[in-house]
Amino acid sequence: MISSALGVWNYWVVFLLMMIGLFLVIGRQNFLKKIVGLTIFQTSVFLLYITFGKIKGGTPPILNNINETIYSNPLPHVLILTAIVVGVATTALGLSLVLRINSEYGSIEEEDISAQDLVDYHDQIETSKTVSIKFKK
Amino acid sequence: MISELIINAFLVSIMLAIAIALLKARTVIYTVLLTSAYSLVAALMFITLDAVDVAFTEASVGAGISTILFLAAMAFLPKKEEKNVTNQAFPALLCLTLGGVLIWCSFDLPEIGLATSPIHQHIVPEYILGSRDDIGIPNIVTSVLASYRGYDTFGETIVVFTAGIAVLAILKNNKTSLKKIKSQKKVAENGQ
Repeated sequence: MISSALGVWNYWVVFLLMMIGLFLVIGRQNFLKKIVGLTIFQTSVFLLYITFGKIKGGTPPILNNINETIYSNPLPHVLILTAIVVGVATTALGLSLVLRINSEYGSIEEEDISAQDLVDYHDQIETSKTVSIKFKK
Repeated sequence: MISELIINAFLVSIMLAIAIALLKARTVIYTVLLTSAYSLVAALMFITLDAVDVAFTEASVGAGISTILFLAAMAFLPKKEEKNVTNQAFPALLCLTLGGVLIWCSFDLPEIGLATSPIHQHIVPEYILGSRDDIGIPNIVTSVLASYRGYDTFGETIVVFTAGIAVLAILKNNKTSLKKIKSQKKVAENGQ
């Protein structure tokens, strides 16, 4: 009873962590915070996978000479090893994009950037109007 | 088993506390350090869940290299996060709904540590026996990673290589800003 309650608590908190990560990605304006949210999301998914691989009374999946040893499931471990490295590659790419955006717009807040884009767009329309008027004359 | 579960529940609660602190953090250095601490506690949890290889990869790559990347990027970025202008109610509602659905589904998940759950049945016994008899590497994770699923690892290296090239390509032209070119053009046009 206690063990099942504790197990369910484990799952629930992992889901809560995922949702906090998702909220940081979709709810925050700051791009750096969005990338941090992505990292949180990734790590909680890793936790979920590793939790699935656990076996009661098992040992880490390294062979020993004792018979009848129960090994925890090695397959999720392999998948998550790959995912961790790919996750760091994603983080590096995202951070370089953020740096580029910052050097371009001078800000990493989503609101600022879309406002600047809007101003640019209207400027473009204005210039194209003046050009067409000149052309008519 | 119960002591392991209690340790797990404790560690996962610490992770939840760190994540909630992250929601409130407004300075960048605090955010980065909290992320690093989160990865370290996750590495501890991987050890109690028998995933030792994953634990040291998470501790070195997740808590080490990513933190270094964040700190390096932080040097060029604004130090504080601005308060949100837009309403956060919709994203919060979306996340709460999705979280509720996931928690509802969690009642159908197999109990933690059950040896009869489907994930342990299909191909894993073969991998464990084959690692001893065919490949002869004591660490089963290594033998699966390098031999049985070698193509996955090959794909991973391709992904990392591509990401490295992309980062170099993005950061290369950092000096020539498109906006500056545009504004210079505008000045030139107005001059005429």
